[in-house]
Amino acid sequence: MGRASRPGWGLFAVVVLVLSILVPPAGALDVPPLTGRVVDLAGALPSSVRERLADTLAEHERTTGNQVAVLIVPSLEGEDLFTFSHRVATTWRLGEKGTDNGALLLVALKDRKIRIEVGYGLEGALTDARSSQIIRHAIAPRFRAGDIPGGVTAGVEAILQSIAGTYEAPTPAQPAADHAGRVIDVLFAVMLGTVIGLVVSGFHRRLGPLVGGALSFLAAPWVLPALLSGGIALAIVAWLRYRLDEVPSPTRRGRGGRRTLDDGWWYTTNGGGWSSDGYAGGGDLGFSGGGGDFGGGGASGDW
Amino acid sequence: MQSDASFDRRPGRRVPLAGAAVVLGLVTLTGTVAGCGYNDLQGLDEDTKAAWSEVVNQYQRRADLIPNLVETVKGYAAHEKETLESVVAARSKATGVSVTPDTLKDPESFRQYQEAQAGLTGALGRLLAIAENYPNLKADQNFRDLQSQLEGTENRIAVARKRYIERVAEYNKAVRFFPTNLTARFLLGLQERPNFTVADEKAIAKPPEVKF
Repeated sequence: MGRASRPGWGLFAVVVLVLSILVPPAGALDVPPLTGRVVDLAGALPSSVRERLADTLAEHERTTGNQVAVLIVPSLEGEDLFTFSHRVATTWRLGEKGTDNGALLLVALKDRKIRIEVGYGLEGALTDARSSQIIRHAIAPRFRAGDIPGGVTAGVEAILQSIAGTYEAPTPAQPAADHAGRVIDVLFAVMLGTVIGLVVSGFHRRLGPLVGGALSFLAAPWVLPALLSGGIALAIVAWLRYRLDEVPSPTRRGRGGRRTLDDGWWYTTNGGGWSSDGYAGGGDLGFSGGGGDFGGGGASGDW
Repeated sequence: MQSDASFDRRPGRRVPLAGAAVVLGLVTLTGTVAGCGYNDLQGLDEDTKAAWSEVVNQYQRRADLIPNLVETVKGYAAHEKETLESVVAARSKATGVSVTPDTLKDPESFRQYQEAQAGLTGALGRLLAIAENYPNLKADQNFRDLQSQLEGTENRIAVARKRYIERVAEYNKAVRFFPTNLTARFLLGLQERPNFTVADEKAIAKPPEVKF
């Protein structure tokens, strides 16, 4: 039971929670779940090709940080190619947050349409013109000859060649927290903990600070502010009790501080088993977008 | 311990109540400051301005592509003078109307901007439609690259507009809803902002049907 690993798990639980709230509304054609780097809903690729592509893409992400995914759908079901492609890319959130180095190759078999959707951060390397050339020269001719796996492979290779070297592989970092709104949340958590703590301490002296601290730990967002506000609330209640009672009791603070962590334990180890931050390590399992954004760059084509 | 606790009980009960009252007052105060939406409104205001800048940015990007496009088309279809000139005219009209974040409040200048841009969208649509009649132009690599860039820019404009529409809707809600509307009106002087109307754009931008 390494105590040091707990904040990481807590962060995790919060991220999972937030993501589950942010599930996008269903559109005309549902965005398929991101089950891997190559999502073949039309069954157009033999599994050997699919696995090789997924390995290539995973290796590319490992060395450059760029997240590239392939989606093959049987049909657009009447939906606009760009609208669907952009919705898939922004829902999957390919690429890193802030760097936006993601790209999507979308193929709609029945519509005979191809689109390369390019994240903000790759627009310089994989320009609209370049994307269009890849579609026209690498993918479309092979598709026309009936070679879907060959076209997809050639397209992926051309995309990776264009964007290789755009970014250095990043060291996996924790997502930057937005500090602005958090101060108010922490204040609120401290207030809540203090009030309840004081009320409880009216009935039970020792339980008051503990409940107060634990409450504001749980009420605060994110783990670091949570520890902070938990500690502050605990200290305030303990201090108030101390002043009011005029009975010094140094053990309160020490024991309480430890207990706050223990009280939060169930909460912080509640996380799931998948990464929401990319970098799932080797292989294709547990692949997910890193929070990248797409502004409409890329190109469309047909065959 | 037992006697200690019962001894404490008397003053202990009275004073925490007073303390709780003070803290409760503080909570209410922070609640009021947070609840009046001052920060939220300021944030939303900035968000809409940023979203607007992106819209302007992408329209500008489109305008920048046009001289090159017109030159390329001229090389193959110089006698399509009327269409070419209408594109150039629409471009200069569109770049002539500028809407800064500060004049965003004015629905009239917003409408003018939108109309000018929609006029350019329409003229460009006509230009690309006639390009279909020139196989040599269509096969030109430079033209194909420009065409894909133009298409990408139109997509970016669509995304930027969509995001602006969402931001403004959020902002307008905050400006109209109670109690943030009080803060918006009396403290910040913020007003509702005009938003894009999809119907207008479609009507103006619709390229004429080409019949053979």
